[in-house]
Amino acid sequence: MAGKAGKQSRPRKAEKDEEEQPLQAVLVADSFNRRFFPISKDQPRALLPLANVSMIDYTLEFLTSTGVQETFVFCCWMSSKIKEHLQKSKWCRPTSPNVVHVITSDLYRSLGDVLRDVDAKALVRSDFLLVYGDVVSNIDVSQALQEHKQRRKMEKNVSVMTMIFKESPPGHKTRCEDDDIIVAMDGKSKRILHYQRAQALKKLHFPMNIFHSGSDEFEIRFDLLDCHISICSPQVAELFTDNFDYQTKNDFVRGLLVNEEILGNQIHMHVTRDGYGARVSNLLMYDTVSSDMIRRWIYPITPEANFADQEGQSCTHSRHNVYREPGVSLGHGSQMEENVLIGRNTVIGANCTISNTVIGANCVIGDNVTLDRAYIWNRVHIANDVKVKQSVICDNVEVKHGVVLNEQCVLAYNVVVGPDITLQEGTVLSMHHPDEEDDEDEDEFLSDDDVGYSKDKTKQKVFNPAEVGSEGKGYRWKSSSLDDTEEDELAECIWGLALNPDPESDSESEVSEGSHDLGSHPASPELDDVKVFQNEVHGTLQRGLDENISCDNLVLEINSLKYAYNISLKEVMQILIRVVLEFPFQQQGAQISTAQYSSHLLPLLKKWAPVFKNYVKRPQDQMDCLASMEEVFLERETHWAALVKVLMSVYQLEILEEEGIMRWFKQSSTTAKSQQLRRNQGLLKFIQWLEEAEESSEGDE
Amino acid sequence: MELQAVLMAAGGGSRMMDLTYNTPKPLLPVGNRPLIWYPLNLLERVGFEEVIVITTKEVQKALSTDQRLKTDVKMRLDVVCIQEEADMGTADALRHIQQKIKTDILVVSCDLITDVALHEVVDLFRAHNATLSMLMSKVHEFTETVPGQKGKKKAGEQRDFVGVDVTGKRLLFMANEADLEEGLVLRKSIMRKHPRMLIKTGLLDAHLYCLKRSVVDFLVHNNTSKDEALLQLARERSCWNDHRGDMSEAYHGGKLRCYVHIMEEGMCYRVNTLAAYIEANRVVPKLFEDPPIHPSAVVSERSLVGSDSIIGPSCQISDKTSIKRSNVGTSSIIKEKVKITNSIIMNGVTIEEGCNIQGSVICNNAMIGRGADMKYCLVGSGQRIEPEGENAAVQRSAGYTTRTRTHTLHFCSSAVFVLNPAFCVCVYVCTLTPMSAFSFV
Repeated sequence: MAGKAGKQSRPRKAEKDEEEQPLQAVLVADSFNRRFFPISKDQPRALLPLANVSMIDYTLEFLTSTGVQETFVFCCWMSSKIKEHLQKSKWCRPTSPNVVHVITSDLYRSLGDVLRDVDAKALVRSDFLLVYGDVVSNIDVSQALQEHKQRRKMEKNVSVMTMIFKESPPGHKTRCEDDDIIVAMDGKSKRILHYQRAQALKKLHFPMNIFHSGSDEFEIRFDLLDCHISICSPQVAELFTDNFDYQTKNDFVRGLLVNEEILGNQIHMHVTRDGYGARVSNLLMYDTVSSDMIRRWIYPITPEANFADQEGQSCTHSRHNVYREPGVSLGHGSQMEENVLIGRNTVIGANCTISNTVIGANCVIGDNVTLDRAYIWNRVHIANDVKVKQSVICDNVEVKHGVVLNEQCVLAYNVVVGPDITLQEGTVLSMHHPDEEDDEDEDEFLSDDDVGYSKDKTKQKVFNPAEVGSEGKGYRWKSSSLDDTEEDELAECIWGLALNPDPESDSESEVSEGSHDLGSHPASPELDDVKVFQNEVHGTLQRGLDENISCDNLVLEINSLKYAYNISLKEVMQILIRVVLEFPFQQQGAQISTAQYSSHLLPLLKKWAPVFKNYVKRPQDQMDCLASMEEVFLERETHWAALVKVLMSVYQLEILEEEGIMRWFKQSSTTAKSQQLRRNQGLLKFIQWLEEAEESSEGDE
Repeated sequence: MELQAVLMAAGGGSRMMDLTYNTPKPLLPVGNRPLIWYPLNLLERVGFEEVIVITTKEVQKALSTDQRLKTDVKMRLDVVCIQEEADMGTADALRHIQQKIKTDILVVSCDLITDVALHEVVDLFRAHNATLSMLMSKVHEFTETVPGQKGKKKAGEQRDFVGVDVTGKRLLFMANEADLEEGLVLRKSIMRKHPRMLIKTGLLDAHLYCLKRSVVDFLVHNNTSKDEALLQLARERSCWNDHRGDMSEAYHGGKLRCYVHIMEEGMCYRVNTLAAYIEANRVVPKLFEDPPIHPSAVVSERSLVGSDSIIGPSCQISDKTSIKRSNVGTSSIIKEKVKITNSIIMNGVTIEEGCNIQGSVICNNAMIGRGADMKYCLVGSGQRIEPEGENAAVQRSAGYTTRTRTHTLHFCSSAVFVLNPAFCVCVYVCTLTPMSAFSFV
C-alpha cells in the first residue's frame, strides 16, 4: 500500500498542473455546408444576427461565462469578415478574460480538417471545449467538466469526449428534425453506447453487442438535443489525425462507438435539464432560438443585457417582452403585442401590428403593416400595407407597398420586392442567381458592400416580375437547386426538414401495420428449401445465359446448391426440367403463344444439353425426366403442341433415348388429363416416327 | 369481487427434475411446508376468499389429504385438474378455465415465494386501468454451492430485456436475449411517446400477473398462440401502447397498457431451479414466527439444534446430533452422532448413526446408511445409500475406486443419487474439493 501511495503522489502533481492550465476552446466558425444559402453567400453564418447580435458573440459569451480563457476561432468561409468582426468586438479588447485567436485557412473543408490542424499545430494542452460558431447556450459546463476529468482520472485516456445534451422531448420546439437523434447509454456510467440519427427511420435498431458492457441497466433516450458542445480531450484531435476519413463529429462519434472494442475509447454524455443550448442549424432553429431568446429562456443572456457591449445596443425591457433600443419611434395606433425587439433608430408607421418579431437597426416600416414571427435585419425598408408571417428579411431589403409574405419566405440581402405581390410559402429570393458559379461568387463578395455594384451586375440578368413584382429585384431560388449542391444532405433545405405534422397519425398507421404483421406472420408460408432451390436454379441459369457461363460451371453451381439445400438428385432433375421449361414464360411473360414458346425454348435446350446429360444418365432418370416434363405440360394445356418439339429436341440432343420415351408413352397413365395429353395428335405422330425409326434401324442391322 | 385469483400449479418443474421426478413441484417442501402453501398464503393475506387452482390429479389428492394445508389455508380452493401430459402453458390453462372467469384475474405461479405488498401490483392495475400488470424483482445471485452442479453458475445465461418508461412502471418492451440475435428493434413511434426508455436486464419475472378479463377472451379466440402466449401478448401489445402525452389524450388513446411493479427490496424467489430451491429453504424460515422445532418432534436433550434450523413435526432426533442451518422435514429420523450442516432433509428420511451431511439435499423417504459422509450431494426420493459393499458398484460405474477405511463411504463433493426412470442410479461426481481428493484415485 505504501508503495502505491508513493506512486500516486507523483502523478497527482502532474494532474494538478493539468488542472491549473487554463480551459481552452475550439470554436468552429464555419458550418461547412450550404444550409443558409443564399443568405450565407453574403455573410458567414456565424455573423448572422440573432436578436440583433451576431451568433458568434453568443458562442463566445457562452464560452467566456463558462470559464474558458483561451479560444481558437477557426474560420474558412469569408474568414476576413469574421476576423474583422472579432477585432471590433469586446473579445479582442485587452480586458477580455477570454483570449481569442483567429486561425484562418481556405483549406478547411470539414470539422475533421480543423481538428487535424489543431493536432498539427499542437494548440490544445488539455481538455478543451469544442463548439460551433452558431451555438447559443447558457449551460454551465463546469459540472460536466468535473465529471469528465473524474472519468479521465479513474481510467486514464479511456473516455475521450463528453457530449452535452439538453432534454428536449419530441414535440419540443428546439427538437429539430435533422438532429433527431437517439442515444443508448449505460444507465450508471452515462457512457454512450449507441448514437444514431433517426430522422428517416421507422424502426430503431440497436445491435446486441452494446448490451454486453456488463451493466444491467441501459437507457434509450429519444428526448435529447445535441447542443453541439463537447468536452474533448486532446486525444480527439489525435484521433481525427489518425482517422483521416472522419469529416464530421457524427463520423467521429459513430466511428468511435463502432470501434470501441478495438480502440478502447469511450464517449460519455452529460444531460442538462435547466440549461439552454441549441445550435442554429437551419432557419427553423433560428426562429425557435430567437423566440426563446426574447422569451428569456436563455437568461442571463437576454436582449437587454447587451453582453456584447456594443454602443447603442442597450435596450429597455417592458411588459410582454417588448424590447426597445434607443431612438425607436412608433407611429400612432401601432401596437407591439408581445415578444418584440426593435433595433435603434427604427421608424415604425401608424396602425401597425407587431408580434413575436425582431426588427434590426435603422429600418423604416410604413403604415398598416402586420408582422408576425418576422425576423427583419438592418436597414430594411417596408412600405405600407405589408403583411409578413414567419419570414426572414435580410439587410437592405426593400419591401414595397402591398406585399404579402407567407410563411417561411426568405428575402436575402438587397432584394427588392413588390409592389402588390404575394409570395408563396417558402419563397427564397436573392440577388445571386441560383446558377452562378462558385468562383464567380467569390469575386463578387469581395466588392459586395457596394450595393450599386450588384445593381449594375443584376442588370445583366432579367428579373422575373412574376416572381419579385414589377419593381422587384432578385432571383427566386428553388429548393431543387439547393438539392443539387448538397450531396450528402439532399433533403435538407434552409428551413430545415418539415416537422412531422402529426406524429399520431403515423403511429396509427404503424399500429395497423403492426397488427398486419401479427396476422400475416404465421400465415405467410415460409419458402421451403425446394422452392428456394428452384429460384436459385432459375437465377443460376439466367446468369449463365446473361454471362455466357459454360455448362460445366453451371453443373458445378447447381451441384453446390443441391448440397446447400439438401435436395435429392431426383428432385434436382425434376426442378431443372421445370425451370427450363418455364424459362420462356419467366422471360417473355405467361401470355406468349406456343410458337413463340418453342422458338425460345429450343435454343435453350440445345445450349444446356450438357447440363441435362449430366443429370440424366440411367433409364430411371429418363423416366423421371419425362414425368416431370409431363407434369409441367399438364399445367399448361395450351402449349401441348410444344411438347412434341421438346421431345424431338431432347431426342435429337441425345438427352433422352427412344426406349425411354416409348416406355413413358406406354405407361398406364393415371389421370384423364395425362391420357388426353398422350392422345395429342402431334405426339402420336412423333411416337409413330420413333417406332418407324427404331424398326428401320433394326432393319438395317 | 374485483379480482379472481388463479393459481397455476400444474408445472412439472422441468428445470429441477432431480427433485420433482416423483414429488410434484407444488408439493416440494420448503421450510417444511409444501411450496404451494406460499402463494396460497400470499393470496390469503390480502384477503382472497376463493382461489382457482389449476393443477394435476396428484396434487389435488395431496391438497385434500394434507392436514397442515387444510388447517393453514382457510380459503376455498376451487381445484381444476388438467392432464399431466398435456404440457399446458399459462395461456392454455387460462383457456381451459375460461368459463369460470367472471372478472379480471390475478394469476400466480405456484413456485413464487415473496413478501411483496401485493396491493402495489393491483394498484398499478387499477390506477392505470391496465390490461396487464405484473411483478418483477431483481435476479438473485445464488451463492450456495448447488449439488451436482459443476463449478459456478453456468455462464452466458440468457438475460431478459425489460424496457420500462421513465417512471419505471410502464412496461414497454420485453424480450429474451435469445430472441434478440439481430439486435434490439424498437418502433420510432414508441420512442416518440416514451422518449426515455430504461432497459433493465437483471430482472426476474415473478409470474404474478393481473389480467383483464378481455385478455382471457383474447386468448380463447387466438388459439394459435401457444405456450408463452401470455408473455408474447405482453410483448406485442405493450409495444404499441403508450403513456404520458404532452398535450394529447391520456395514454395517447392507446387501449392496451402493461405495467410492471419492480420490487426494489424484499424477498422474491421463484423456486424453479435447484439453486433457487436451496436458497428459498434457507431464507424462508426467517419469515415465520413458528417455533423452529415443531412441538410434536422428539428432540433429544443431548443434541444440538441451531436456531437457524427447523425441525418438522414428529421427527426424532437422537443423542449427540448436531444440526446447523438445515431443514428437517416431517417424520424424519436422525440417529446418533449425525452431523448435518447446510442441508435440506425432506420428509420421512432416515439417517443412520455417524453420518456427516453437508450442503446436501435429501429427498423424501431416502435412507442414508451408517457412517455416510456426503458433501454437496443430492439423494433422490426413496434412495437407499447402503452403509457398505453395495455402493461400490455405484462408484465403479462412475469410474472411481474408493479407498475406504473403516468401511465408511466417502461421497465427497457433489454427487447426485437419483432414481430416474431413464437410468437407475446416476452419480455425477463433479468438482473435487482438496479435502476429498484423497479418497478417490
